[in-house]
Amino acid sequence: MSNTRIQIENNHNLMNKDGLFYKEFPSDYRQIRYFTLLIVQKAPPEIREINLLEQQVSELIKNAVKHGNKQDQDKLVKVWYSFTEEEARVIIEDEGNGFKAIRDWNDFNSKRNACLSDQNYEKLADFVSFRTDTSDDNDGGNAMFAALEYWNKGVVFTEKANCVAVGKTFRRKDAGIPMHH
Amino acid sequence: MELKVRKSGNIYIIDIEGEMDLYSAFKLKELIGKMLEKNISLYIINMEKVEYIDSSGIGALIYVSSALKKKNARLIISNVHGSVKKVIELTKLTGYFPMEETLRDGILKLQKG
Repeated sequence: MSNTRIQIENNHNLMNKDGLFYKEFPSDYRQIRYFTLLIVQKAPPEIREINLLEQQVSELIKNAVKHGNKQDQDKLVKVWYSFTEEEARVIIEDEGNGFKAIRDWNDFNSKRNACLSDQNYEKLADFVSFRTDTSDDNDGGNAMFAALEYWNKGVVFTEKANCVAVGKTFRRKDAGIPMHH
Repeated sequence: MELKVRKSGNIYIIDIEGEMDLYSAFKLKELIGKMLEKNISLYIINMEKVEYIDSSGIGALIYVSSALKKKNARLIISNVHGSVKKVIELTKLTGYFPMEETLRDGILKLQKG
Protein backbone atom coordinates (compact mmCIF):
# COMPACT_ATOMS: atom_id res chain seq x y z
CA MET A 1 0.00 0.00 0.00
CA SER A 2 1.50 3.33 -0.95
CA ASN A 3 0.66 6.68 0.59
CA THR A 4 -1.35 9.14 -1.40
CA ARG A 5 -0.25 12.33 0.32
CA ILE A 6 2.28 14.05 2.51
CA GLN A 7 0.80 14.42 5.99
CA ILE A 8 1.07 17.41 8.32
CA GLU A 9 0.91 16.44 11.99
CA ASN A 10 3.14 17.51 14.90
CA ASN A 11 2.28 14.53 17.09
CA HIS A 12 2.36 11.75 14.52
CA ASN A 13 3.95 8.56 15.89
CA LEU A 14 6.75 8.85 13.28
CA MET A 15 7.79 12.08 15.07
CA ASN A 16 8.61 10.19 18.27
CA LYS A 17 12.36 10.44 18.86
CA ASP A 18 12.59 7.96 21.77
CA GLY A 19 15.36 5.42 21.22
CA LEU A 20 16.58 6.98 17.97
CA PHE A 21 20.24 7.77 17.23
CA TYR A 22 21.16 11.40 16.59
CA LYS A 23 23.66 13.21 14.36
CA GLU A 24 23.87 16.81 13.19
CA PHE A 25 25.64 18.35 10.20
CA PRO A 26 26.44 21.79 8.80
CA SER A 27 24.52 22.68 5.64
CA ASP A 28 27.37 21.85 3.27
CA TYR A 29 25.97 20.96 -0.15
CA ARG A 30 29.21 19.25 -1.22
CA GLN A 31 28.96 16.79 1.67
CA ILE A 32 25.34 15.65 1.37
CA ARG A 33 26.18 12.17 0.16
CA TYR A 34 28.96 11.79 2.74
CA PHE A 35 26.61 12.76 5.59
CA THR A 36 24.07 10.31 4.21
CA LEU A 37 26.62 7.49 4.32
CA LEU A 38 27.38 8.30 7.96
CA ILE A 39 23.68 7.78 8.69
CA VAL A 40 22.94 4.67 6.62
CA GLN A 41 26.10 2.83 7.65
CA LYS A 42 24.10 1.97 10.78
CA ALA A 43 21.56 0.05 8.71
CA PRO A 44 21.76 -3.75 8.45
CA PRO A 45 22.75 -4.85 4.92
CA GLU A 46 19.35 -6.58 4.49
CA ILE A 47 17.56 -3.23 4.22
CA ARG A 48 20.17 -1.29 2.27
CA GLU A 49 18.99 -3.14 -0.87
CA ILE A 50 20.85 -1.80 -3.91
CA ASN A 51 21.50 1.71 -2.51
CA LEU A 52 17.82 2.64 -2.29
CA LEU A 53 17.86 3.48 1.41
CA GLU A 54 20.92 5.67 0.85
CA GLN A 55 19.30 7.38 -2.12
CA GLN A 56 16.06 8.10 -0.26
CA VAL A 57 17.81 9.45 2.87
CA SER A 58 20.09 11.59 0.71
CA GLU A 59 17.06 13.27 -0.93
CA LEU A 60 15.71 14.32 2.47
CA ILE A 61 19.09 15.62 3.63
CA LYS A 62 19.49 17.49 0.36
CA ASN A 63 16.09 19.15 0.81
CA ALA A 64 17.08 20.23 4.33
CA VAL A 65 20.48 21.59 3.24
CA LYS A 66 19.34 23.27 0.06
CA HIS A 67 15.69 24.27 0.41
CA GLY A 68 15.51 24.47 4.21
CA ASN A 69 18.81 26.00 5.29
CA LYS A 70 19.62 27.55 1.88
CA GLN A 71 23.16 26.16 2.24
CA ASP A 72 23.88 28.52 5.14
CA GLN A 73 26.78 26.69 6.82
CA ASP A 74 25.89 28.21 10.19
CA LYS A 75 22.58 26.34 10.10
CA LEU A 76 22.40 22.73 11.14
CA VAL A 77 20.64 19.71 9.74
CA LYS A 78 19.58 17.45 12.60
CA VAL A 79 18.94 13.78 11.94
CA TRP A 80 17.36 11.17 14.21
CA TYR A 81 17.35 7.61 12.91
CA SER A 82 16.97 3.93 13.66
CA PHE A 83 17.39 0.93 11.41
CA THR A 84 16.55 -2.72 12.00
CA GLU A 85 15.95 -5.58 9.58
CA GLU A 86 12.22 -4.84 9.82
CA GLU A 87 12.05 -1.08 9.93
CA ALA A 88 13.79 2.15 8.96
CA ARG A 89 12.89 5.45 10.59
CA VAL A 90 14.39 8.86 9.95
CA ILE A 91 13.51 12.34 11.21
CA ILE A 92 15.24 15.33 9.63
CA GLU A 93 14.95 18.88 10.92
CA ASP A 94 16.47 22.05 9.51
CA GLU A 95 16.59 25.66 10.67
CA GLY A 96 14.74 27.11 7.69
CA ASN A 97 11.26 28.53 7.23
CA GLY A 98 9.65 25.22 6.36
CA PHE A 99 8.24 23.59 3.21
CA LYS A 100 5.31 25.96 2.77
CA ALA A 101 4.01 24.35 -0.40
CA ILE A 102 2.88 20.99 1.01
CA ARG A 103 -0.78 21.53 0.11
CA ASP A 104 0.18 22.62 -3.42
CA TRP A 105 2.45 19.61 -3.66
CA ASN A 106 -0.33 17.21 -2.60
CA ASP A 107 -2.65 18.79 -5.14
CA PHE A 108 0.02 18.50 -7.85
CA ASN A 109 0.69 14.88 -6.89
CA SER A 110 -2.97 13.88 -7.08
CA LYS A 111 -3.20 15.35 -10.61
CA ARG A 112 0.00 13.52 -11.46
CA ASN A 113 -1.45 10.24 -10.16
CA ALA A 114 -4.59 10.80 -12.25
CA CYS A 115 -2.42 11.09 -15.40
CA LEU A 116 -0.60 7.91 -14.38
CA SER A 117 -3.76 5.90 -13.79
CA ASP A 118 -5.15 7.10 -17.16
CA GLN A 119 -1.75 6.33 -18.73
CA ASN A 120 -1.98 9.83 -20.19
CA TYR A 121 1.75 10.36 -20.73
CA GLU A 122 1.24 13.47 -22.82
CA LYS A 123 -0.50 15.26 -19.97
CA LEU A 124 1.89 13.68 -17.46
CA ALA A 125 4.63 15.82 -19.07
CA ASP A 126 3.10 18.79 -17.19
CA PHE A 127 3.37 16.92 -13.89
CA VAL A 128 6.82 15.33 -13.98
CA SER A 129 8.52 18.05 -11.95
CA PHE A 130 7.15 20.09 -9.03
CA ARG A 131 8.49 23.65 -9.13
CA THR A 132 8.26 26.57 -6.72
CA ASP A 133 9.59 30.15 -6.97
CA THR A 134 12.88 28.98 -5.51
CA SER A 135 13.45 25.92 -7.71
CA ASP A 136 16.57 25.98 -9.90
CA ASP A 137 17.85 23.93 -12.85
CA ASN A 138 19.48 21.37 -10.60
CA ASP A 139 16.26 20.56 -8.78
CA GLY A 140 14.73 17.42 -10.23
CA GLY A 141 11.41 18.28 -8.60
CA ASN A 142 10.59 14.58 -8.34
CA ALA A 143 12.18 13.36 -5.11
CA MET A 144 9.04 13.42 -2.97
CA PHE A 145 6.99 11.37 -5.47
CA ALA A 146 9.43 8.50 -4.93
CA ALA A 147 9.58 9.23 -1.19
CA LEU A 148 5.83 8.61 -0.82
CA GLU A 149 6.24 5.26 -2.58
CA TYR A 150 9.34 4.20 -0.70
CA TRP A 151 8.44 5.27 2.87
CA ASN A 152 5.45 2.97 3.29
CA LYS A 153 4.73 4.07 6.88
CA GLY A 154 4.33 7.64 5.76
CA VAL A 155 5.95 10.98 5.03
CA VAL A 156 4.95 13.50 7.70
CA PHE A 157 5.89 17.14 8.22
CA THR A 158 5.38 19.26 11.33
CA GLU A 159 3.06 22.25 10.96
CA LYS A 160 6.08 24.54 10.77
CA ALA A 161 7.22 22.15 8.02
CA ASN A 162 10.96 22.39 8.75
CA CYS A 163 10.92 18.84 10.08
CA VAL A 164 10.05 15.67 8.18
CA ALA A 165 9.63 12.17 9.57
CA VAL A 166 9.54 9.03 7.43
CA GLY A 167 9.26 5.33 8.09
CA LYS A 168 9.39 2.09 6.16
CA THR A 169 8.73 -1.48 7.14
CA PHE A 170 10.56 -4.28 5.39
CA ARG A 171 9.32 -7.78 4.87
CA ARG A 172 11.86 -10.26 6.17
CA LYS A 173 12.68 -12.65 3.38
CA ASP A 174 13.44 -15.55 5.71
CA ALA A 175 10.58 -14.99 8.15
CA GLY A 176 7.49 -17.13 8.44
CA ILE A 177 4.05 -15.88 9.36
CA PRO A 178 4.35 -13.70 12.48
CA MET A 179 2.67 -15.02 15.63
CA HIS A 180 0.19 -12.76 17.35
CA HIS A 181 -0.66 -13.28 20.99
CA MET B 1 30.06 10.37 -13.85
CA GLU B 2 31.73 10.00 -17.25
CA LEU B 3 30.00 10.56 -20.57
CA LYS B 4 31.35 9.08 -23.80
CA VAL B 5 29.81 9.51 -27.22
CA ARG B 6 30.13 6.98 -30.04
CA LYS B 7 28.31 6.40 -33.33
CA SER B 8 26.45 3.48 -34.83
CA GLY B 9 25.41 4.54 -38.35
CA ASN B 10 23.59 7.81 -37.83
CA ILE B 11 22.70 7.00 -34.23
CA TYR B 12 24.68 8.72 -31.45
CA ILE B 13 25.19 6.54 -28.38
CA ILE B 14 25.97 8.25 -25.09
CA ASP B 15 27.55 5.78 -22.66
CA ILE B 16 27.20 6.93 -19.08
CA GLU B 17 29.50 5.50 -16.44
CA GLY B 18 29.27 6.16 -12.71
CA GLU B 19 26.79 7.83 -10.39
CA MET B 20 24.17 10.16 -11.82
CA ASP B 21 23.60 12.36 -8.83
CA LEU B 22 23.13 15.93 -7.62
CA TYR B 23 26.78 16.72 -8.35
CA SER B 24 26.99 15.35 -11.88
CA ALA B 25 23.58 15.07 -13.54
CA PHE B 26 23.83 18.55 -15.15
CA LYS B 27 26.63 17.24 -17.42
CA LEU B 28 24.13 15.15 -19.39
CA LYS B 29 21.89 18.18 -19.96
CA GLU B 30 24.88 20.22 -21.17
CA LEU B 31 26.10 17.49 -23.51
CA ILE B 32 22.70 16.90 -25.11
CA GLY B 33 22.21 20.69 -25.43
CA LYS B 34 25.44 20.90 -27.45
CA MET B 35 24.54 17.87 -29.57
CA LEU B 36 21.13 19.37 -30.36
CA GLU B 37 22.85 22.52 -31.67
CA LYS B 38 24.57 20.25 -34.21
CA ASN B 39 21.15 18.98 -35.34
CA ILE B 40 21.78 15.42 -34.25
CA SER B 41 18.44 13.63 -34.28
CA LEU B 42 18.91 10.02 -33.09
CA TYR B 43 20.08 9.37 -29.54
CA ILE B 44 20.61 6.40 -27.25
CA ILE B 45 21.48 7.01 -23.62
CA ASN B 46 23.14 3.78 -22.49
CA MET B 47 22.77 3.30 -18.73
CA GLU B 48 24.57 -0.05 -18.57
CA LYS B 49 27.28 1.30 -16.24
CA VAL B 50 25.08 3.45 -14.01
CA GLU B 51 24.46 1.90 -10.59
CA TYR B 52 23.13 4.96 -8.72
CA ILE B 53 20.69 7.69 -9.61
CA ASP B 54 18.92 10.32 -7.51
CA SER B 55 16.17 12.87 -8.17
CA SER B 56 18.64 15.19 -9.95
CA GLY B 57 19.56 12.32 -12.29
CA ILE B 58 15.90 11.53 -12.91
CA GLY B 59 15.36 15.27 -13.46
CA ALA B 60 18.14 15.30 -16.07
CA LEU B 61 16.53 12.37 -17.92
CA ILE B 62 13.14 14.15 -17.85
CA TYR B 63 14.78 17.36 -19.10
CA VAL B 64 16.62 15.73 -22.00
CA SER B 65 13.68 13.59 -23.10
CA SER B 66 11.44 16.65 -23.30
CA ALA B 67 14.15 18.82 -24.95
CA LEU B 68 14.67 16.16 -27.62
CA LYS B 69 10.95 15.73 -28.18
CA LYS B 70 10.57 19.49 -28.77
CA LYS B 71 13.23 19.34 -31.50
CA ASN B 72 11.66 16.23 -33.04
CA ALA B 73 14.78 14.24 -32.20
CA ARG B 74 14.35 10.62 -31.09
CA LEU B 75 15.64 9.07 -27.89
CA ILE B 76 15.99 5.60 -26.43
CA ILE B 77 17.26 4.95 -22.90
CA SER B 78 18.84 1.49 -22.73
CA ASN B 79 20.08 -0.97 -20.11
CA VAL B 80 18.29 0.56 -17.14
CA HIS B 81 18.80 -1.90 -14.28
CA GLY B 82 19.27 -2.38 -10.55
CA SER B 83 18.64 0.61 -8.32
CA VAL B 84 18.23 2.97 -11.29
CA LYS B 85 15.31 0.87 -12.50
CA LYS B 86 13.89 0.81 -8.99
CA VAL B 87 14.10 4.61 -8.57
CA ILE B 88 12.34 5.10 -11.93
CA GLU B 89 9.65 2.67 -10.72
CA LEU B 90 9.28 4.53 -7.40
CA THR B 91 8.89 7.76 -9.36
CA LYS B 92 6.31 5.91 -11.52
CA LEU B 93 7.97 7.03 -14.75
CA THR B 94 8.56 3.56 -16.22
CA GLY B 95 5.92 4.15 -18.91
CA TYR B 96 7.01 7.74 -19.51
CA PHE B 97 10.61 7.15 -20.57
CA PRO B 98 11.33 5.49 -23.94
CA MET B 99 13.28 2.53 -22.57
CA GLU B 100 14.66 -0.60 -24.22
CA GLU B 101 16.25 -3.57 -22.47
CA THR B 102 19.49 -3.60 -24.45
CA LEU B 103 21.56 -1.29 -26.63
CA ARG B 104 20.86 -3.58 -29.60
CA ASP B 105 17.09 -3.30 -29.06
CA GLY B 106 17.50 0.47 -28.89
CA ILE B 107 19.44 0.62 -32.16
CA LEU B 108 16.87 -1.62 -33.91
CA LYS B 109 14.02 0.54 -32.67
CA LEU B 110 15.62 3.76 -33.95
CA GLN B 111 16.56 2.14 -37.28
CA LYS B 112 12.95 1.10 -37.89
CA GLY B 113 12.06 4.80 -37.89
